[in-house]
Amino acid sequence: MKVVMLLGMRSKGYTVMKIRTGEYFIKEAFRSLKRNGLMSFASISTVALSLLILGIFLIMVLNLNNMASNLESQVQISVYLQDGLSDVEMREIGTRITKLPGVNQVLFVDKEEALKRFKQRLGEQQSILQALDGTNPLPNAFEVKMDRPEGVKPVAQAISQLKGVENAKFGQEIVEQLFALTKMMRIFGVVLIGFLALAALFIISNTIRLTVFARRKEIGIMKYVGATDWFIRWPFLLEGIILGFGGALAAVILLNQTYGALIHQVYESLAFLPLIPQYPFITHISIILLIIGTVIGALGSTISLRKFMQV
Amino acid sequence: MIHLDGISKIYDNGCVALSDVTVDIPKGDFVFVVGPSGAGKSTFIKLLFREELPTKGKLIVNGRNVGELQSAEVPYLRRNLGIIFQDYRLLPNKTVYENVAFAMQVIEASRREIKRRVIHVLDLVGLRHKAGSFPGELSGGEQQRIAIARAIVNNPVVVIADEPTGNLDPETSWEIMKIFSRINKGGTTIVMATHDKTVVDAMKKRVIAIESGNVARDEVKGVYGYED
Repeated sequence: MKVVMLLGMRSKGYTVMKIRTGEYFIKEAFRSLKRNGLMSFASISTVALSLLILGIFLIMVLNLNNMASNLESQVQISVYLQDGLSDVEMREIGTRITKLPGVNQVLFVDKEEALKRFKQRLGEQQSILQALDGTNPLPNAFEVKMDRPEGVKPVAQAISQLKGVENAKFGQEIVEQLFALTKMMRIFGVVLIGFLALAALFIISNTIRLTVFARRKEIGIMKYVGATDWFIRWPFLLEGIILGFGGALAAVILLNQTYGALIHQVYESLAFLPLIPQYPFITHISIILLIIGTVIGALGSTISLRKFMQV
Repeated sequence: MIHLDGISKIYDNGCVALSDVTVDIPKGDFVFVVGPSGAGKSTFIKLLFREELPTKGKLIVNGRNVGELQSAEVPYLRRNLGIIFQDYRLLPNKTVYENVAFAMQVIEASRREIKRRVIHVLDLVGLRHKAGSFPGELSGGEQQRIAIARAIVNNPVVVIADEPTGNLDPETSWEIMKIFSRINKGGTTIVMATHDKTVVDAMKKRVIAIESGNVARDEVKGVYGYED
């Protein structure tokens, strides 16, 4: 309902704003921000903190979701073989796998090939392999590609029953756990963010209330000389919006820096962790946070205006 | 200009401030509203600029039906009224010039128009030389003259004053009344609630006396008629 009120500002009694009037509103808003310096700072900090936490949650949940759906869409089963099988035995296992329903392609990856791939993935950290002293701990394996993700689970089960197979791994086990985790995080996040948003709303509306109180005499005179309600409201609304937007901006800058650093770190040392690239991901999150901050600011001042000004 | 037709005002607590008041104030009139404290003078004044709404009856001010006015239309009613209070209500952190200009700023007048009008009305109240002073540096009478300047800067058709000389000594009051007379001669209607016997008796203007919510007297060249 409050939002509707904000949107209705061009309704009756609102004349087209002149540039000079806009200047006046902005000047008045900044004057109040300065006058209530400490409260303004507290408001911006609260909004920043709330939105920072919201942002962190968004980034975590979206990344986990991204990982989960990456894994889910994989139609590949990795079949690890026991050591010491003969070529015939291994070929036999391969043939059997090919005959299973839904299997599209079976690719043999021998120990050496596996080690080569692992080295590639490690990139600059290859030196850790020196600890192996030239031995190769990786098993021979089959990469089994399926037609559709739905068939993966029964086929993997069937394969793991085969003689000579150590185990058969596929993404969906982890997927289910990941989805359960993100679901929990989402619920927890929503509750937490709800509280934080309320706190931000409360402190902004309090700051605006101080401004309204400091200027009640001025407001009274404005009313008597025929200022429209919107003319009176604008500076206060603007003040709230600046507080909300300012807080969001601080959160956005911090998140951007942190996520950038995180991505950099992960690419250096944990290259296999599939994080969502910084851009445009963080840009989208920034836009969301800035909008939320602005709305919180506008709502906060609207609450105060309704309660304490009756205009 | 102002027309009250069977106006009653009953407050939420049941107190009857005005009952069935019918008064007609034509354009250019100078009217004193007098009466004992609590008789309904203040309510009468407040109805005119829609600080209060009538409970019953029809109230027309400058062609607008005040009782049926949407709240968004109230500012436009008030732009044609100049309102003056006993306590001046100036902004202490603004200069005299800024205080008067403020009334034009908030209705979005152009800067040039503001400058022209503010200087004109400061001349009219004889305080152009104080334009750069702050209200705290002025005497009570000077502050009230600034308040009058602010009230008339937007060229109102009616000036409504609630006890404008209530805080002033007789000599200063008299100066203020001379300014009101001058404004009235320019064609502006003036409605003034007052307790000031000397002023009312000397001015020989129309007097409406309100007693316990009713019009007790309405005389063309009236006198105050009370002993307080």
